[in-house]
Amino acid sequence: MLITEKPHSLISNFEAVRELLGLTGPESLRAVREAALAKFAEAGIPTTRDEEFKYLPLNRLRETEYVPSYGATLSEDDLRGMPLKTLDGPCLTIVNGEFAPELSNVSGLPNGVRVRALSEALEQHEGLVMRHLGKIATHEGKLGTTNDERFTHLNTAYMAEGVYVFVAKGVMVEPTIHLRLITQADHGTIAVHPRVVIELEEGAAAKIVESYHGLGGESFTNVVHEIALGANANLEYVKSQTEGGSTIHIANQYVDQKDGSVFTSNQVAFGAAISRTDLNVFVDGEHTETSLNGAYLGQGEQIIDNHTRIDHAKPNCHSFEVYKGILDDRSVGVFNGKIFVYEDAQKTDAKQTNQALLLSANATINTKPQLEIFADDVKCTHGATVGQIRDEALFYLRSRGIPEMDARGLLVYAFAAEVLEKISIDVVREALEAELYRRLNRD
Amino acid sequence: MLQIQNLHASVEDKTILNGVNLTINPGEVHAIMGPNGSGKSTLASILAGRDGYDISEGSATYLGEDLLEMDPEVRAAKGLFLAFQYPVEIPGVSNTYFLRAAVNAVRKQRGESDMDAMEFMKFIREKIKILDLDPSLLNRSVNEGFSGGEKKRNEIFQMAALEPKMCILDETDSGLDIDALKVVSDGVNALRSPERGFLVITHYQRLLNYIVPDYVHVLVDGRIVRSGDKTLAYELEEKGYGWIEESLAGAK
Ligand SMILES: Nc1ncnc2c1ncn2[C@@H]1O[C@H](COP(=O)(O)OP(=O)(O)O)[C@@H](O)[C@H]1O
Ligand SMILES: [Mg+2]
Repeated sequence: MLITEKPHSLISNFEAVRELLGLTGPESLRAVREAALAKFAEAGIPTTRDEEFKYLPLNRLRETEYVPSYGATLSEDDLRGMPLKTLDGPCLTIVNGEFAPELSNVSGLPNGVRVRALSEALEQHEGLVMRHLGKIATHEGKLGTTNDERFTHLNTAYMAEGVYVFVAKGVMVEPTIHLRLITQADHGTIAVHPRVVIELEEGAAAKIVESYHGLGGESFTNVVHEIALGANANLEYVKSQTEGGSTIHIANQYVDQKDGSVFTSNQVAFGAAISRTDLNVFVDGEHTETSLNGAYLGQGEQIIDNHTRIDHAKPNCHSFEVYKGILDDRSVGVFNGKIFVYEDAQKTDAKQTNQALLLSANATINTKPQLEIFADDVKCTHGATVGQIRDEALFYLRSRGIPEMDARGLLVYAFAAEVLEKISIDVVREALEAELYRRLNRD
Repeated sequence: MLQIQNLHASVEDKTILNGVNLTINPGEVHAIMGPNGSGKSTLASILAGRDGYDISEGSATYLGEDLLEMDPEVRAAKGLFLAFQYPVEIPGVSNTYFLRAAVNAVRKQRGESDMDAMEFMKFIREKIKILDLDPSLLNRSVNEGFSGGEKKRNEIFQMAALEPKMCILDETDSGLDIDALKVVSDGVNALRSPERGFLVITHYQRLLNYIVPDYVHVLVDGRIVRSGDKTLAYELEEKGYGWIEESLAGAK
């Protein structure tokens, strides 16, 4: 017997916005969207039987009636109390998937730097954007037997708005570029599918901080990143996810690194009910450096799932990865770290560490390092531990007069703060440390 | 101010302290010397309140109270301080934050108000100069990536900041070159006062040239086998610990 499921809203909504989406970008994107929607429809919403979604119950995506996203007008006042509210530099804001000019100011950037809403960038310099749009976000032709890109397809189906950052050859951007992605879903449960495209040309350098915020209501954020780093480019990237407590946040991030480039990613996940980030780095050049740092905190029933994947496709590259999470109450942490070392990638040096600190008997962590190595002269290590507060550290603090409860709190905080320390932008690091501290103290 | 009487301690059925007797009065500097493994650090740890030891016999009284009953933080608040033989690295906690939490915790117990950030920084900058520590260490995580010498100086720096009454130094000299040894000793000597007691644990006599003790005790196999003045330290240096052990065997 064939049971035909009523198509859920993530698919049925497309009908209503097809024409509107078609107005953005070149005509050719229409067919791309249709094809992507078909792929997503075929794959469907994953269940825990799907290898890549084993610990991620996403029934809510199937059951919830999402409405196409609608605009919301916010003022800076509405953002009060938001962590990383402002960095006093160039800032571009997306609210409910739409560009919010009133909350954006990207003036004062040096020549050769463009920070735009994606739709605007497609109008102004389509050729430049289309160099990478849709081309980086794919595992096609790469290794891996369980590649699952259904949420990337879903994003592509609705792709129209988002962010575009371009730094021309040799330009070093001094101020930190701040991208704010805010959802305010008080008037209906929305799904938003922003696309973020970042290109640093040869020898360019930038710091980009992307912060996700929820200002109420229930929503689904399904974002896709395409990041192209030219030869010797250097990007420090921070993703701070502090979305609202009933949000589902899914991010599929794809990075392409050319010769000598340096990519530092600092991923911070404190918010959302369910948070899943796939960070995929394709190392397509020699002598590159890749640092993936992650800090997360799970409280209540939160589920925080980080999948990282590094494709070492070229020789002489170095990757370093450390993810640390604090899990309290009934929260669930997931870490899956894939490292593929291709046949040609001799002299690869890859190190992966992930640690979780369980504060409650009901909190769980599911960890799976997955190293697939096809070259023979490489150095790859991985380590996974379920951390505990170290007795000697606790005694040391107490021996200096710090009461046991405070000392424990400090060590729990320090467990994740050790990763936040890797953020070089002082104001950002301090704001995130304060946010971690606040959440741990449940203020 | 500190009376240790017939203290016996063991870990997992291994006896480490075998009846230690020691009394320290305010203003006195006592040195404990002894071969490796004789129980010096164990004694220091028990006094500071590390758990995991089975105290089968004996007592320790501090300022008239039962020391062994107190939590480590209470001991610290009452002015007992241990400079660790192996200071602990705490990644993720900045030295400044840690020190301020410690100073304020101890002040609170004494009924004094918190120091605010400005006051504290001024206070700390004065102290750090005495120990010739690089101020950039303040912003780093506690002891993380510090050299051996920096860790030891950091201990004495914390001691200077907390202004304790009873200072226990566990092999603070090990791993220090001669210049660092002088700096550390000057730091300690600056704190010497008629109200303060010191227990200086060391393996070598060298440190005692700089921190001159009033009494020297020799700890062997968890027991103080000989006590004297500073000349005992010279004798030990000359003849080695073997001498004590032999004379003990001979006495039997
Ligand atoms: N936690 C412990 N568990 C087992 N043995 C211990 C422990 N702590 C100390 N010891 C043993 O007790 C003895 C004394 O150690 P310690 O006090 O560190 O000596 P010292 O500081 O004089 O070198 C040593 O034999 C040491 O191995
Ligand atoms: Mg010792």
